[in-house]
Amino acid sequence: MALIKINDLHAEVEGKEILKGINLSFETGEVVALLGPNGHGKSTLLNVLMGHPKYKVTEGSIYYNDIDVLSLSIDERARLGLFLAMQNPPEVPGVNNADFLRAAINTRSEKKVSTYQFYKTLDSATKEVKVPFDLATRNLNEGFSGGEKKRNEILQMLLLNPEFVLLDEIDSGLDVDAIQVVSDVINKVKGESKGFLVISHYARLFDLIHPSRAVVMINGRIVLEGDSSLIKRIDENGYEFIRSELGINIEKEETYMNKVSIGSCAVKESIK
Amino acid sequence: MSIAFESRNINRNKERVLTHLSIKDKKRNEIKIFSGENIDLLLLDVANDKVVDIELEKDSNLSLAVLAKNNINNVEINAKVGRNSHISLFFADFSFGNNKVKVTVDLNEERASCDWHLSSLSAKEDDKEFSIFINHNHPLTFARSDNYGVCKDKARLVFSGTSSIYKGNKKSETYQNAKIMVFDEDSIAVAKPILKIDENDLLASHSAVVGKINDEHLFYLTSRGLNEAQAKELITFGYLKPILIGFNDNNIKNEIENLIEGKM
Repeated sequence: MALIKINDLHAEVEGKEILKGINLSFETGEVVALLGPNGHGKSTLLNVLMGHPKYKVTEGSIYYNDIDVLSLSIDERARLGLFLAMQNPPEVPGVNNADFLRAAINTRSEKKVSTYQFYKTLDSATKEVKVPFDLATRNLNEGFSGGEKKRNEILQMLLLNPEFVLLDEIDSGLDVDAIQVVSDVINKVKGESKGFLVISHYARLFDLIHPSRAVVMINGRIVLEGDSSLIKRIDENGYEFIRSELGINIEKEETYMNKVSIGSCAVKESIK
Repeated sequence: MSIAFESRNINRNKERVLTHLSIKDKKRNEIKIFSGENIDLLLLDVANDKVVDIELEKDSNLSLAVLAKNNINNVEINAKVGRNSHISLFFADFSFGNNKVKVTVDLNEERASCDWHLSSLSAKEDDKEFSIFINHNHPLTFARSDNYGVCKDKARLVFSGTSSIYKGNKKSETYQNAKIMVFDEDSIAVAKPILKIDENDLLASHSAVVGKINDEHLFYLTSRGLNEAQAKELITFGYLKPILIGFNDNNIKNEIENLIEGKM
């Protein structure tokens, strides 16, 4: 049975269309690699699935076990079982990580988790993600290194036990050992009842978590699907073959910062 | 003038004593810290229209934590700080109503220093105004002022901080920080950090931020299952909670947490 079904999904940000008709479905138990050049809509798709208010869905539908996801608020989607491990988790000053985790766990059940049970679960999860327990007692992502932020995302995934996990470049900022730890956790929790949609630019993560399928997004559309050999091919040869073999022109990512260079005034450029 | 506290009266067997105070009767009240003393005071009850005059003799320290649970309109705190002495003032305001508080700290001698911490939650139709004046009256004086506020519903909250360094008071340092988080369109929040400086050889900075809750923070917390109200409460609590550091009594800390929850 399809866990997630996306039909003709169009989405825009600040009036610019990013997703231009996505059709995808995910079965339970699948680990799907989402590949594509920078700026072609991969993170947008994950944020739209989670309900980020910056992105406006203009057409199409998303169903999760036959529930209309687009009609749900962000927190309702989370409680339904969606989880987005973010590319750049924000630092939230003053909010204690443990208080936040406990509040998030408590949203999953009628009965609040006891202090003893919470700290026992937290202790076990921090050991699994190989982060010091101290990480949970600090303010949420505040002053965390890039690697600590990513591990904190995985810690949350473990504690909240979601059904469908969206990982947005979870391996960026992680050293080799940390990628191994994160992969071990993913391999441990993935199973027949869960689904994963994973964005990464590096084959190392995919070598460790063994995706069952790979999809390639170009210009806001899914243009190619395949098995893990597709990941290997892209890792070795890049995306050029998509243009030469499929005749798809790969639009270049808009880089506004190019306007600013040493010798020019960034403020003047920004207000032009 | 009523003597609210004199450090001579403390129990000498203990290094640092936490004393609970209440100022309700006389209009003017004095707190005097004698030379060499190191005192923690907790002021739990201040009535309207009261003045608290504080004097720190040389080489003394005072940490004064004020918890405003009830209306505190027209209250003045004036502190005169002597040589090599330090005053820490923590003001936790989670009261309802119209409050007007004026704080003046005079750093009168070399190495006199102060730090001021304010945490205020203004809700419903509260109208609150805090004016903090720090006067560097001598070279080599140091001050830091941190003001955090949350303004919601139809409430008004004003932080006004004026730090003055007069000519000749070299090597002094003064830092001001004011942040107010605004929840609703009908809330009015104003932060006015003012530096009056008539000397070149010094360090000073001031900052003021008034704005709504960060959308990315809200998205992050709600994406973990908290509804918007729960997420806002957690963020607000985190914003105001650092004031707890000035309250060395666990029962009072719990009471402050409950007051914030109650006002949210």
